[in-house]
Amino acid sequence: MKILRIIPVLLSLVLILSCGQPQTPALQQGTLLPQAKVIGDFSLVDQNDQPFTRERLKNHWTFAFFGYTHCPDVCPTSLAMLAQMQRRLEKAGTPELPDVIFVSVDPERDTLATLATYVPYFHPDFLGVTGEPDEIHSFTRRLGILYGKAENDSGENYLVDHSASVLLFDPDGNMRAVFGPPHDPEKMANDFIAIRNYYEESQ
Amino acid sequence: MKSFILATILLLSVSLAVAAETQTLVSDAWVREAPPGASMLAGYLTIENPFDEDQVLVDVSSPRFAHVMMHRSEMVDGMARMIHEESITIPAHGKTELKPGSYHLMMPAPDLRLTTGDTVPFVLRFANGEQLEVSAEVRKP
Ligand SMILES: [Cu+2]
Repeated sequence: MKILRIIPVLLSLVLILSCGQPQTPALQQGTLLPQAKVIGDFSLVDQNDQPFTRERLKNHWTFAFFGYTHCPDVCPTSLAMLAQMQRRLEKAGTPELPDVIFVSVDPERDTLATLATYVPYFHPDFLGVTGEPDEIHSFTRRLGILYGKAENDSGENYLVDHSASVLLFDPDGNMRAVFGPPHDPEKMANDFIAIRNYYEESQ
Repeated sequence: MKSFILATILLLSVSLAVAAETQTLVSDAWVREAPPGASMLAGYLTIENPFDEDQVLVDVSSPRFAHVMMHRSEMVDGMARMIHEESITIPAHGKTELKPGSYHLMMPAPDLRLTTGDTVPFVLRFANGEQLEVSAEVRKP
């Protein structure tokens, strides 16, 4: 009798599992966008003075964090966290590791030379990106990333308030997920694998 | 009577010894090793206040830095920002941690880059006149 009652449950489970549509992954840290966000063209430059355009986001996954090198507390903490996440993925033998970029929200002070030494310090594969202030502004705005010079601050030593979220772009160059602070490298790594599996099953 | 006096003296000296040990305690002082090219450094430490009154840290200095600022990082609606603090209060019989993402010391990076294993002296000055010297270790978190 008991077995009979379980049968419909089992049947519906089988139905769900065999259904073509993969199930949205339950994430530990991030928020998956219901629909990938197409961000349009942009024209930035990387730490090696190479153009950084939408094409550079394609054919691989990309994590992006936004900050500035004059920030000694939150930004190094986030970059070190991303490096830990990356090393976890490396250790797990994850194929096709994601790229990680650090986009400057202080293009006036963050030179290419500064970014080229600052960013790879955390992980040799990490890439610093900057650009004309207008380009950075338009790029970040489309992503929902906010920043601005702190009030009551003048002179060269100004502080910059900025979104502390980490974004994830899929191999089509579209924004797929947002990771709000505080960040945990293990949860980020797990979420990345879950999102990527989901993406591949959905293709 | 004699033993009573002796006991009193003993008790007194014990409480005196305790009083001598009662002072603000600083532990786990460290400076984050920064990447080459970083212009600012952050320092962290934990301050314990054994007194019945709040302790107020009003000034921090170091011969290694042009100046040392007291700061606090704050997350509001997913935005990270830093705030200058004129002072940092350590509650009576409590402790205040200067740690990543919270209160921290902030100083301009010296010309000669500090790396893991270096030590940096700091002088902390409190509102009640107490002054403490601490040695902070440069390290990667
Ligand atoms: Cu600060």
